[in-house]
This record gives sequence, structure tokens and C-alpha cells, in this order.
Amino acid sequence: MSQPELVTVTIDGREVQVPKGLGLVEVALQAGIEIPVFCYEPRLGPPVGACRMCLVELEGVPKLQAGCTLTAADGMKVRTAQTSAKAAEGQDATLEFILVNHPLDCPVCDKGGECPLQDLTFRWGPGNTRMEFPKRTLEKPIPVSPAIALDRERCILCYRCTRFSESVAEDNQLVTQNRGASSVIATFDDRPYRAPFSGNVIELCPVGALTSTQYRFEARPWEIQNVPTVCGLCPVGCNVAATTREGKVKRMLSRNHPEVDEGWLCDKGRFAFTHLYAGDRLIEPLRRRQRSGLEEISWEDALDEAERLLRESGGRIVTALSGSETVEQAYALGRLLRGGLGAHTAVMPEETSQALDAFRLPLSAIREAELVVVLGDEPVAERAPVVELWLKAARRAGAEVHYAGDAHESCRRLAGSDDELGGRLRESERAILIWSGEDGAGGGHVAALARELGFDGKPGSGAFHLPRTANGRGVADAWACSDDGESEAPEQIGLLIVSGDEAAADPNVRVLAERAERVLVTSMFQSLAAGWADLVLPGTSYLERDGTTVNLEGRLQRQRRAVMAPVPDVVAWIAKLAERFGVELSPHVSVVFDEIGAKCFGGITFADVHERAELPPRAEKVSDTSKVSDTVASGSGLRLVAYRPLFSGAAVERTPELQFQKPEAEVQISPEDAKARGVRNGATVTVSSNGTSVELRARIARDLGAGVVRIPRDHAGDLHATVEVSA
Amino acid sequence: MGLKTMLLAGADEHDLTRLAEYQAIGGYKQAPKALAMSSDDLIAELQQANLRGRGGAGFPLGRKASLVDRKSPKPKYLVVNADESEPGAFKDREVMARVPHRLLEGCLIAAHAIESKDVFIYIRGEYLTEYEILQAAVDEARGAGLFGDVNVTVYRGAGAYICGEETALLDSLEGRRGQPRPRPPFPPVQGLYMAPTEINNVCTIATLPAILELGAAGFDQIGTPSSPGTVLFSISGNVEKPGNYELELGTSMRELIYTHAGGIAGGHQLKAVIPGGSSVPALTARQIDVPLDYDSLGAIGTFFGAASLIVVDERCCMVQLALRSTKFYMHESCGKCTPCREGTRWLVQILEKIERGDGEAADLDLLRKVCDRIEGKSLCALGDFAVWPVQSYFDKWHDEWVAHVEQGGCPFGGESSLEGIFAPSDQHTHSPVAEVPA
Amino acid sequence: MIPELRALGERYPDSRTAVLPALRLVQEQNGGWLTTESFEQVGEALGLTPAYCQAVASFYDMFHLAPVGRHSVEVCTNLSCALVGAQQVVDAFESELGVAPGETTEDGEITLRTVECLGGCGYATVVAVDHRYHQHVKPDDVPEIVKELRGA
Ligand SMILES: Cc1cc2nc3c(=O)[nH]c(=O)nc-3n(C[C@H](O)[C@H](O)[C@H](O)COP(=O)(O)O)c2cc1C
Ligand code: SF4
Ligand code: FES
Repeated sequence: MSQPELVTVTIDGREVQVPKGLGLVEVALQAGIEIPVFCYEPRLGPPVGACRMCLVELEGVPKLQAGCTLTAADGMKVRTAQTSAKAAEGQDATLEFILVNHPLDCPVCDKGGECPLQDLTFRWGPGNTRMEFPKRTLEKPIPVSPAIALDRERCILCYRCTRFSESVAEDNQLVTQNRGASSVIATFDDRPYRAPFSGNVIELCPVGALTSTQYRFEARPWEIQNVPTVCGLCPVGCNVAATTREGKVKRMLSRNHPEVDEGWLCDKGRFAFTHLYAGDRLIEPLRRRQRSGLEEISWEDALDEAERLLRESGGRIVTALSGSETVEQAYALGRLLRGGLGAHTAVMPEETSQALDAFRLPLSAIREAELVVVLGDEPVAERAPVVELWLKAARRAGAEVHYAGDAHESCRRLAGSDDELGGRLRESERAILIWSGEDGAGGGHVAALARELGFDGKPGSGAFHLPRTANGRGVADAWACSDDGESEAPEQIGLLIVSGDEAAADPNVRVLAERAERVLVTSMFQSLAAGWADLVLPGTSYLERDGTTVNLEGRLQRQRRAVMAPVPDVVAWIAKLAERFGVELSPHVSVVFDEIGAKCFGGITFADVHERAELPPRAEKVSDTSKVSDTVASGSGLRLVAYRPLFSGAAVERTPELQFQKPEAEVQISPEDAKARGVRNGATVTVSSNGTSVELRARIARDLGAGVVRIPRDHAGDLHATVEVSA
Repeated sequence: MGLKTMLLAGADEHDLTRLAEYQAIGGYKQAPKALAMSSDDLIAELQQANLRGRGGAGFPLGRKASLVDRKSPKPKYLVVNADESEPGAFKDREVMARVPHRLLEGCLIAAHAIESKDVFIYIRGEYLTEYEILQAAVDEARGAGLFGDVNVTVYRGAGAYICGEETALLDSLEGRRGQPRPRPPFPPVQGLYMAPTEINNVCTIATLPAILELGAAGFDQIGTPSSPGTVLFSISGNVEKPGNYELELGTSMRELIYTHAGGIAGGHQLKAVIPGGSSVPALTARQIDVPLDYDSLGAIGTFFGAASLIVVDERCCMVQLALRSTKFYMHESCGKCTPCREGTRWLVQILEKIERGDGEAADLDLLRKVCDRIEGKSLCALGDFAVWPVQSYFDKWHDEWVAHVEQGGCPFGGESSLEGIFAPSDQHTHSPVAEVPA
Repeated sequence: MIPELRALGERYPDSRTAVLPALRLVQEQNGGWLTTESFEQVGEALGLTPAYCQAVASFYDMFHLAPVGRHSVEVCTNLSCALVGAQQVVDAFESELGVAPGETTEDGEITLRTVECLGGCGYATVVAVDHRYHQHVKPDDVPEIVKELRGA
């Protein structure tokens, strides 16, 4: 991309050199001048010039202009309210009109104290309103969904929320109804705003019109703290701020990392924090009593018990990791088990591949791409939600986005020399591959494909793998560098250590447990551990930890403890245990990290992991054995993709405000396949694979290729890999 | 000066809705002439003719056509604004009902000028009969192969005055809520479907065949140098013979009112004339010796607007007139920008109070201030349209306003010609809002 | 219905443009007003959300979101008609039909509305009866108009 030409703009007498076409609001900021705005929000697309708060005087134009719609042109001379009486009058007028029907109920408004309207009124506003007529009064607040409330009297009709719904999330569910003074923000037929990114409208709203039902009346701005951290619920690792009050998390806000999330969060990341306060949260350790369930024991006894289990099973230990642990937790476990007991065998949630490091790009590069190919039939939004928003942004920017279907098959097809799409991928300077399939080895496959297509030499082309876990890569690397010994997987498992809730919920881990003499589980929740564990050590949430994680880009990010856990810190008690086995391990995360940093993050220290972490440069040379997949999809009939929905899992289960978001008992089917089987949209159908069958509502999905059906895992019953659908 | 037919030429003698009859009087002979020219030459000719837009802004058609980005790889669009919703205007309707083929021939000429193959005619939804006539004409002309490779689509609006504003019209034509867009970008650069678009009023386009026939030079002989040609004027209200009269630009307003429209009805006296449709400042009886052209009307502080005169006699209360007018603009405000949406509603509240007789001196003051605070601040001109007339009624008939306050009621004591007219405008609003009566 | 609506979508450079014609068609087929199902239908056919369709419909005066009578009587009450007695015409309809503007007769036959300028200012008072203009309407003409309607 060529350098944009610089132009000179004069604002309130100050000259600034800025790129031609830069928005005037930004130009003004560079000159140290604030142009107040309400509706202006560049992330929502082109300016709409609706609220008229930004009125300025433009030399040579008699009428006041909306500053937000002006762009820098050479010789442009602008006077804002600071130096132009006319502009000031205009702004004052706008504020008076906005307040004409505003309830001015700041004392009882959640936005009070952090409300742009309140601030601007203090700074510019008319001291007293001349409006003495009945204000527009409307039914309030009305639920936009179980998670969002709308107060239409406070709404200033800036259309930020509806523009987000139309032009960013593209769900077109939150709209404006009626005209003129009767315009209101609404959903269809007052049904809930049911979409994965709905919560962003709360943050976008410049007044207290759209508020979080979780946060209503929970806190006032001067009582809260916003702790900068990183979301731990998916591999994107959106940058967030946890608002806390009196040691409790009250809400999650975005903390715009322009390369990772651009300030958007999915509703899981935003609302699911309430799992910290779930009824079945484990506080005390539990030990199995001879055929009489679990009994609470003290932490001291629990550590003794753990020590006993470790000693008696000698080396015959297998560790099942979740991939949601911090780098430091995984490393600490590794030091204890591998270093202290020579127990090197671990079950990783997914394979990870270093090969991708050679094709590393920031997620924001997706928007710059001209050609994007998604490999695999798992909905991107369900695996790594915010990536879906980058894809939509890419499409809006004119990129061609392809859904290639079965990951392995399309990998082979695209690698082939005669494939048309493959050919264009080779030619393009800005092409991106995204693996969104179940197979954890996808990282290696997609990397191999990228190399095959000659992406190495192209800084604009890259590849991503959407893993299932938040920190799979970090956990694998940390475990790997925690010790360099090796050992055979034990014939007979003496002790199975299950680290964390994802592992505890994993059917494969349960199978292992069958084969284990003893099972030690760390988990946040009673229900996940009860029944099969001999010893349960209460776990912590990502909001209660200090440490680091590695997201799907390969970006090392800092997780900060937002609130103290009601239980001991995991690294701390592992350190205690380690001591008993003569392993030297600091209970302090920063010390632990510096040790890891030296070994596997190129010698960086804890302090080097910044608030908005940078993406490490592409690996020049990676020793890598991965090759383009050669697994062949088998069987006839329709291939079943039983995906793990975004709105599922331990945290979502424990968040009342998210229950309505859970996927319905639906089978998604391509238009072709539906036609061939006489299946109508919305009709109840039978999905069967030899022996078993389930009744589901059919939804015809235009984004789905023929030969595949999609069913949320929880609704797929025991269906096999290939199924039939009948009306 | 005076009566002169050009737009409606031949319409009295023939049924020009019929293709054959239109062709019999020389119809569809001008379009081929235009098509024989290069688009550059055609634009040059149109610029020389200096035909000014009849839709309101009076912007020269040739200039606008020259601004269309003809180099763009995107298709170019010609959009005819047939949304005619300005109170007092009914001229476009007559053109479509009586000389539809002249409009279509004009479309072919304008389309060629901007190298467009796609013409949309956006006609207000209420004009059902006119739509049928126009659609029939389109089918007949297309059937006769007169359109060549140009597609002409007649698109019906659905009841929204704002859709006459050109960018709101484009949004409506794209299947959206018809709300104005910020400018720049201007339609000639980025209009319908983000492609270069020329938008013109029905009468503007229907004048093009005459320009081709007379040549720019010949056309400039008619009317005044700065406002050449004829205009179909709508005149309504308290006159003997209301209707449409096609006059040379520059004809005096007095001649239109007294000679052609037969003067004030029922021997009443002239009180006010709103010269451009209800959205412009009104003139007093003493101001009507003015030539009807863009500049002369501009010179006395009003606008040529939609060339639609509303004549008001002495029986009308100007406060009621202001209230009724403002209710219209409040109802038609699209709701996108703050000053227009909130300001018009506030104005109505103040006007109702004054009209009821509950107003105080302070309210008169407030009314004028609120008008001034809306003026020039809104996203499109609707905000101005709402306040310009009110400001003029307020300033020019000030005693009536003071009287309302001093006498605690309407000085006309229930005798005003507008007494009782106030159709509650909220009747139009749609059900889903639960508006709790204050 | 859906195929008809899809066909509308194909008429224009962008199927979204068909939303007004589609809503109009569905409204005509549904006794003059739009229901929840109407929006779902149009949305399904044109690939838009029902919310979007409802948002569009609620912007325009000619789409009705609540039940209306079989026939519509719309009296223009804007300036030009008002100046020459539109209000008396409204009054005449009110007493003839026994309903106020915005209401529908008991038998669900006729909805009376007062509307903004219909573009017939020179031929006041203008009354649109089932969208056909009657011009120069005087109060005395009202009974005849209503009789015709009821006959129809
Ligand atoms: C609120 C508003 C309503 C308008 N209504 C109409 C209309 O009904 N018909 C029309 O031709 N122009 C109308 N205009 C003017 C158009 O925006 C535009 O200037 C005109 O159609 C250009 O055509 P012309 O250059 O041939 O006059 C309106 C403008 C505004 C601000
Ligand atoms: S709800 Fe908030 S964001 Fe939406 S229009 Fe109203 S003020 Fe703007
Ligand atoms: S910020 Fe410019 S109009 Fe709203």
C-alpha cells in the first residue's frame, strides 16, 4: 500500500499535516482539539451525520457542517466551537434539542458518571432547559433480551446500536421503528435480540438507554475498578477489562486491541463471568470415602492426600490437560510431575503445530485480504466468534470469502496443481487460509497447505487454525519445556490427573478414568468432578489468575487477576507439593514465567508482556514435518458435523442471561440436500445413522455445501459420522 | 411573458397519453437527435441552455450532468424524482397524467447525456392513476422499440414526504427507510447502489425534448436570461380558478393570480401568498408585483421552490396556518437528525399552546428562538422547510401572534377559515410504539 | 406467495429494492395490513430479516401495521384543501360513517383517515377513496360517496 499524500488543515488557527481524507474528528485530535460527537463511531462504517453534535464552521461554506462527515483536504480551514461563536451556538442548540425529551434521571441511571451526554451537557449544555412541556414518555425499561434492557426515553437516536446490528454483526435484528419523533429502537415483534454479539450495543450506547441486566444498579463509577486482562473462554483472547466492585466481577468491557478484536466481544465473553458465583462452585477440597461419596477436607489434608496418591502411583501417572490453564500453571504441573516424578505422559486437548508460526499474521489482516478460504464445516463463530466479525469485515471490504467444505478434502484439492481456487491462492498477494474443522492436527495441515501454495514469501498471506481451547498452544509449549526427560506411557494407569473443567468434561478423559486406579481432578464445579474422582482440588477461573496465555495468532498475552479466588492459587499449591518432591518451583507467577521465557519464549521476561501485546514476527525457519492432510472422509450419505456451540460449556451453563442463546434442536442442511429430500425450512425431520436417530427441526443454511449437515453437539445424540435426513 | 405551452404543448388538442398521437405531433423525434450527439456535446448543449431544476433547488441540469462520474466502471443511473409531495404542488402529476411520453423522451435524452442505460422513475405511492398511465406509456414505448437498450423502471413510493429529498429517495429506492444521506459524497459521484447518479424532477426532464427541438439558443429566448424556459405553476387556495398554468419564467405573480387564476375567490382580499409550496417564506399582498423566476423571488427573501403558489385570503389565522404547516413537517420528519426530529415536535407544542390562548410573551420569544435554532442545523433542508414559513408568518403578521397572547385566544373568534382543521398528526404513526399519554 | 415475492426480487439490480413492492403486494393480499407473518414472508423471500422488513414498513404511511377496513377513505387536510373547507368534508364523513379519523366502521367496512397533501391542491377538497382521487369534494357529496362504497 502506497503512502497517502499529506495535506495541511487549519483548525481553530492551528495547522496540522495529516493524510488526505482523514476524518476531521481525528484531524482535530491531532491538533489537540476535541470535536464532541455522539453518533460518530468509525468502527460502524461511514459517518451518518445524525446527531449534529459535531457542528463546525467550514471556511467558504455558509451553513454549519457536521464535522464527523468532513475529511481532510488541502487548505481546509475549520473553526470548532472553541473559536467560532456560530459553531458553539449550533452545538448548544443540538444539546438543547437532545435534552428536550431526555428524562435527566442521571442519579438513577447506570450510565451516570461515565456518560458522554452527561459530560457534554456539563461542558457545553444550556444550564437550564426552556422545555416546559410534557416529555415523550414511553414504557420503560423494556427487555431487548434477558441480557439487555432498553430505556427508550433516554435514547438519543444516534443509531449506533442499529448500525452495529446492520453493518458489523450483520444480524439485522436491532432496528429503528416508526418515523420522526416517534422513532424507537426495537426488535422484531419485541422478540429477544438473539445473536452472538448482541452485548456490544451496551458499550456502544453513549447514554443509559441500552444497559446490561447483569449490571443494573450494581455499582456506581466511583466505586469500581476496571482490571485490564484477556478473555479466557476461546482461542481469540479478546482484550477485556473486568469491572470489579468489593472483590466481585460485575461486568466485562472490551479493551479494544485493534489487531485482535477491534473492541468487539462475543456474548459469552461478556456475560459468562457469573460462573464465578455459581451455586456448585467448589471451595473446599473433596476426598472419596469408602462407598459413601465425597467428604470435604482441609487444604492441608488435601495436599497430604495428593502427595500420597502421587507417591503410591510412582511413575504410572497420566495427566489430562484442558488447554485453558495459564502457561505458568501448565509449566508448574510439568515441573512437579515430570521433574519430580518422571511422569512425562500427558493427554493434550489438541495437537498444536509450530509450523503455523511461519505464516503468522494478526487477525486484523483478514480484513485486508482479497481472498479468504475457510477449510472445514464448523461454523467459525462457534469456535472463535470474533474471527467471524473479521470475516464479515473482509467481505464488506470487497474480499472474496470461500467456504471450501470438508477440511481434509479441500486441503488436498487446493494443494493440487490444477485446482482453480488453489491457483488464485497461489497468485494472490493477500490470501488467507482458516482451518475451522474438528481435527486438532489442522494447524499442521493448513500450514503445510500454506507452504505448498507459496505463502512463505508473501507478508500479506497467512494461515490460521481455530483450536478448541483458549491456550492449547501455550499449555503444550509450557509442558514441553518444563522438563526434557521421556518415558513410555504406562501400561496400567496408577493415577490420572485431570487438570481443569474442559478436561473433566471431555468424554475421552472419562474413558481414560475407567482404566485408572485413582483419579485426581482439579475443577471449579462439584458436578464435573463428583462420581469419578478420588480427590478433587477446587480450581480457579481465568478471572482469578495471574499469568500468560497464547492465542490462536501465537500472541502471548497477559491475564491479570481481576478478583481473588475463594480458593488457593493453583501455581501456589503446586509449588507447595513440588517442594515435597524436592522440585524447586517458585509460587510467584512472574518468577515462573521468567524461567519459561528463558527456555521457550526467546528470553523475554514477564514485564515484556504488555497490556496490548505485540504479535511476534513470523518464524523464519521452522523445523516441521507436517504435511498436507491425506485422511479421506469416509462413508456415504451426509457427513455429520456435530459442532460444539459457542453457547455451551461449564461457564455458559451457569449464566442465566445466556440460556436463551443456546442453540435450538436444529439440523442445518444445504438447499440442495433439502430439495433432494423434500425437506422444508422449519419442518421436523428425522436424522438417522445406522441404529440411532433423532428428531430435529430443519434449517436450510445457504452457507452450507451439499453433502454435509450440522447439528449442535448437545442435540446430536449418538449419531455417527454419516447420517441420513428424511422429511 | 405570460401563458406559453411547451411542457404541455398539444395536450389540449390531443390525447398524448397515446403513443401514436404523441408521435403524430412530432414526439420521439428529439431523442434520436440527442443520441446522434456525443454525450460531451449533448452536455455542452444542455449547459448552454441553462435549464434550472424545477424540483426546488434550481440547480442547472447541464451542470449536474457534467458532474456525473461517467468514467466510473459502475453503471450510471438516471433517477426521475416524481415524489411530488410538497403541499401546494400538483404539476408533476399533470405532466405524468397528460404527457407521459414527453417525460419518457426526456429520460432518453438525459440518460444519453450521462451514458446511462438504467432509468428509475420514483413516483409517490398515492399517485395510483398516474402510475398506471405512466406504466402503460412505458410499456407502449418499449413495445415500439423506442427505448433501445435503455431500461425504464417506474418505482412506487409508499407515503413519505422526505423521499422527495434526493438522497432519501435513493435510500428508499434501495429498499431502505427513506432517510437523507450526508453529502459529500454527492449522487453524481456516489448515488444509487453507490454508483454515479443524476436525479431530476419530472418537469425538468420533460422540458428536455423542447430544448433539443429549439436548440439551446432558441430555448434561451424564452423566459429570462437567468431563468430560461417555461414553468408549469401550480396555484391553489383562495383563488377563483386554481390549477396548473404554464407560463414563461418572469411572468409577474400578480398576472398569474389575477389574470389567469381569476383573482381571490368570493370577493375576499388577498392576505398572503406562499410562492414555492408550503416550505418557503410567505409574501404579503404588497409583495406580489414580482416576476416569477428564481432570482427575483430570491431577491425578496423567499424561494422559487416547487413553483407552487398557495394563495391565502384575509379569513385565515396565521397562527393556525403555522400550526397546521408545522404539524405536517413534524409528521414528515424522518427522525434521523436531532434538530429536525426534536425541534419540530417542540415547535408544535409551543404553537398549540399559543393557538389555545395559553401563550405568554415568553412563548412568542421562545418560538422564534427555536425556529432559529433549527434553521441551518439539520442534515437535510426539511428542518429549514419547517421553520422558514413560520418565521415569515411570525414576522410579517406579528400583531396576530401578539393578539393571541393578549386576548388569550384566536382574534378570529372561531371564524378563521382553518378553524378546527388540526388533523391529529399522530394518527399516522404506527402501532408498535407504546406512547403513554403525558 | 413466496415465489411471487422472489420474482419481485429478481426485477431489480438489488433484491433489497423489492422490499416496498413486496410489502405492498403482501398487504393487498392480507386485507390491507401487515402482520408478523407478512414480515416473515417478505424477509424469507428477499433474504432479509423480518425485523428489517418491519422497520421499513413502519417508516411509510401507506403500510398499515394494524387491522383496517375493506375500504379506505382518506381526506386531505393540508393547507390548500384546509383553506377551502376540508374540515367540513371530514366532519361530513365522521357523521356519515359514525367514526373519527383513524377509526374503522363497526362492520369493518370503511376506515376513515385524514392525510397530508395528496397532490390535488388545485381541485380541493381531495378525497382518496380506495386510492382513487375524488376532487372538488363538498360536504354534500359525502353521502353519495359512502353509498357507492357500501354498494361496491
Ligand atoms: C424535504 C425535501 C423534499 C423534497 N421534495 C421534492 C419533490 O417532491 N420533488 C422534487 O422533484 N424535488 C424535491 N426535493 C428536491 C430534491 O432534493 C432535488 O433537489 C431535486 O429533485 C433535484 O431535481 P431538479 O434539479 O430537477 O430540481 C425535495 C428536497 C427536500 C429537502
Ligand atoms: S439506544 Fe443508545 S445507541 Fe441506540 S440509538 Fe438510542 S442512544 Fe443510540
Ligand atoms: S457526531 Fe457528527 S452528526 Fe453525530
